[in-house]
This record gives sequence, C-alpha cells and structure tokens, in this order.
Amino acid sequence: MDPALLASRIEKHKTKDLVIISVGPEAIIKGSVDIGPTHEPENLEKLRNYLKDIPKNREIVIYCGCCPFVKCPNIRPAFALLMEMGFKNAKLLNLPKNIKTDWLDKDYPTND
Amino acid sequence: MINMKNALTLLLLIIFSGSVAAQSTIEVGKKAPEITMTKADGTSFALSTLKGKIVLIDFWATWCAPCVEEQPELKTFYDTYSEQVKNNKFEILGISLDKNKESWQKAIDRFNIQWIQISDLKFWKSPVAKLYEIDELPFNIIIDGQGTILAKNLHGKELEEFLKKTLNQN
Repeated sequence: MDPALLASRIEKHKTKDLVIISVGPEAIIKGSVDIGPTHEPENLEKLRNYLKDIPKNREIVIYCGCCPFVKCPNIRPAFALLMEMGFKNAKLLNLPKNIKTDWLDKDYPTND
Repeated sequence: MINMKNALTLLLLIIFSGSVAAQSTIEVGKKAPEITMTKADGTSFALSTLKGKIVLIDFWATWCAPCVEEQPELKTFYDTYSEQVKNNKFEILGISLDKNKESWQKAIDRFNIQWIQISDLKFWKSPVAKLYEIDELPFNIIIDGQGTILAKNLHGKELEEFLKKTLNQN
C-alpha cells in the first residue's frame, strides 16, 4: 500500500476496518499496533497471538521502515506468518527507504 | 501594487530561506555541532569533552541490521588503536537512535562495546538526526581534535584505510 493512501485514510478516519501493525522498531504510524521487530522469534509469536482472533478477511497493513526492503529483517517473517495463517487481505506498506523519509518527513499522522 | 510588492518580497524570502535550508552543515571541513546525551548508566556526556582527539562518531541503532553488523568491525578498530585511545588521541562515540533502553543495553553487552555509547532513546525523533542531517543508518563522521569534520560516511575498507592513514600520523 502506498503511504500517501494510508495517510489520507487515517486523516479521513477511514480505518475502522483496517488493522495497522508495526513489525519494526517503533509504532510511529497513528493507530498502529506495536508488535516489535519480528526477526526476533518472541515478537513473531506475539504477532501470531495478536492475529489469532482477527477475521481472516480483515484488511491488514504491516510496516517496518527500519531500512530499505532488501535489508529489512522483519518484513519477510511477518508477511510469511500472515500468509501461513490464511489472511487474504494482508498488505505491506511501501516504505522504500525508511519510516523517516517515507513517513515522518512527509508529516503523515503519527501516534503522538 | 503594494500587494504585488509584498507578494514578491514574500516569494523572495521563501526562495532565499529555502536555499539556506538546503545548504548542508555536515560536510568535510565544517565544525561538528555539539551533542549532549545520556550514557547507558544515566550520566550526561558532551561531544565537546573529546576535544583534542580524533573521534569516529558512529550513528547506529540495534534495529538497524547493517549497523549491528558493523559493530564487530568497530571493535577491531578500537583494539587496533588501543594505544591511541590510551594516549588520548582517538575515541569512538556511538550514538544510538534506539528507542528501547533494554535492546540498547543488550547490544552493548553482547558486542562488549568498550567505547562511549550515548542515546536519548528517541528513535528518529531524536534532535540529533535532524542536526546531523541523517536520513538513514548506518551513518558516521570522523572529526579532528578541533571538532572539524575530516570524513563523512565511510564504511568497510574505506573506513579502515582512512583510520590507518589518519591515526598512524599521530
């Protein structure tokens, strides 16, 4: 998902049916849930627990933003878990560089 | 007409302030701005107290995989130049953009980091990120005894060569 689209949905309060999950260093994005870096097995378990009561057709957006995708150790295990658990509407937030340049510097809504 | 003039002044002001803001302050030959932050033991530390030493300032975080990979390399430098460290010629200053104190402390212990480590635990919201114009990690600078920037963002072989050249002169 494009960050501009997510930001505009948050600003328009159109996130009622959307679950936004941080699987990286901090849940910067407004309304997102802080799971912690999912390259750590305990956080991946935390994600599994968090997801277990959520309907499989719910729209879910995960993000990390620690670094460019190729170097990110968190996105892949988290997304693989979502697929394994059968989520049909899971998306990855497209933060090509990191959460700073692609979110904070654009003044998109944050959790504080 | 007055409105036109005002609008023009405003426009010029915007253009001018924009060009000022676009000028980088973190460049070789410029002075490194002062940094005051807290060490893991809670005591305050200021960059200016390292005056007189060549300092490698390493901006990193435990959530940044390439930064973590670099830590053993920094340890090798710290060991290689231990004489210079002892003689107050060289120091490494690690500045972490971590948010979680526990993760930070764990990494310091795990890599047995002996050099100075400071952080304000503010993640990307740390004022130092803005002050040092940091867009991504890892990032580093090397400063001389007067706080002038000698090199910017050197890694791997380049960093090794630069330290060798700079520290063996002293």
